[in-house]
Amino acid sequence: MMINAQLYVKDLPGHLVESLEPISLVNGNIVGVVHDREQIVNQRICIDVTFEVRGNPELDQLKDIWKSKDVLIANMGSVYKTYTMEYMLVGDFTASFVETLIDKASKAISLESVDVNYSSRNAKSARTAMISAELMSESDLKKFDAFLMEACKESKIVYIRGL
Amino acid sequence: MRILISGFGTVGQGFAEVLMRRRDFFVGRYGKEVSIVCVMDSSTFAKDRAGIPPDDLLERKRTTGKVGTETYADSVEVMDSVDYDLLVEVSPTDIKTGGAGLKNIRHALESGKDVVTVNKGPLALNFCELVTLAKKNGCKFRFEGSVGGAMPIINLCRECLVGENVSSIRGILNGTCNFILSKMDNGQPFEQALKEAQQMGYAETDPTNDVEGYDSACKAVILANSIFGRNVAFSDVSITGITSISGEAISLAASQNMVIRLIGEVSEDRLEVSPRLIPKGHPLSINGTLNVAQIVTDLAGPITVSGRGAGRTETASAILSDLVSVMDDRKERGDRCRNP
Repeated sequence: MMINAQLYVKDLPGHLVESLEPISLVNGNIVGVVHDREQIVNQRICIDVTFEVRGNPELDQLKDIWKSKDVLIANMGSVYKTYTMEYMLVGDFTASFVETLIDKASKAISLESVDVNYSSRNAKSARTAMISAELMSESDLKKFDAFLMEACKESKIVYIRGL
Repeated sequence: MRILISGFGTVGQGFAEVLMRRRDFFVGRYGKEVSIVCVMDSSTFAKDRAGIPPDDLLERKRTTGKVGTETYADSVEVMDSVDYDLLVEVSPTDIKTGGAGLKNIRHALESGKDVVTVNKGPLALNFCELVTLAKKNGCKFRFEGSVGGAMPIINLCRECLVGENVSSIRGILNGTCNFILSKMDNGQPFEQALKEAQQMGYAETDPTNDVEGYDSACKAVILANSIFGRNVAFSDVSITGITSISGEAISLAASQNMVIRLIGEVSEDRLEVSPRLIPKGHPLSINGTLNVAQIVTDLAGPITVSGRGAGRTETASAILSDLVSVMDDRKERGDRCRNP
């Protein structure tokens, strides 16, 4: 499991390394560390660390070690991998059509986030919308792909997806 | 090696020129020249069992517009009247019926002759039938130039990457569409970019096959059948062309640091040609008339190849490589017979 934690450690030499070593002790893997010296609270500095551990027993063990070393855990949460894809729709449609489409999709598929940009419409050309979608899993991505493709086919809208 | 060339347009003439340029290569490698014993264009033919010098054929075509002085009604009769070892089929592509190319290839294979072709029509429509026919009659049947012109892809996957599991191939398989979309990236409208492509000789007077994605679809079928071992035809491809791509769509993509390119995608469960959003800097975001393909394999990872997808000499180079492969194979078999 991938974990992101915000830790506060004493602003003394060696304490940064001391707070990270326990992750290796539980066979964890450090993915990223941000050492923020501008955020000093009660003479402690903030460390934002992202790491992988095998499961909850290892995480509990890690928490105990940190406690014993006087490392304060301000925040902790799991991080999950998301899948992003860009889509472009070209045709005769309104913004509410796209909104309805995304509403419908979100009822059946876990959409983490969706961002839509539109071209300005003029009398001559068809409208263009660019959708950036972030999804929770690869299977959700495939479902969203298929949903958009089918909906665009029905409405005779050209559907272009990313790679 | 006695060759019969069916089709003497741009590619056929290019191949004749390449044979002249590589005369010393053939003599050095095989101890003899490749001889053209018969050439057919759409209505005439020339034949000589002793071989016809390529420059004579080119000169006659240039001055008279015809390759021969005799006319024919049935190409099969001409083929039957000549002793040849290998058919080079380069007649115009007909993706509706397969045209004369299908008839000629079928007849050559039935007669036990090796075939090298770049004609997409017969391959997109009757691939499995032709491959089966070749196997049944012990013939070599090669078609590297039918996809990507000079860009090696079929033989690359079947020979150099043999043993790999190829999970997908995605690529720009039509240079004309890529030229148009590249021009649109710079602000030109579709119609103007198409006109420029026609003026430069990249697009036909009737550009339907290119801009509607049919040409790319033929190539996707050839890749699906020859590399993924699928049994699909042109009608199985999900096709979207580039005619509905507006300047606005290009601009909106550019604002997100992307370009739109017509991509053919082939895998075990996908067979489609459609415009796709490609991040700028990605290997598939190339400009101009080039073709490019990204082959995803399990051991080697992604492999990208790029090259000129069309052109007189470029396509002839692919035919040359197939011809050399067939001749190498014959030489090896000959050596084995002499030294078992």
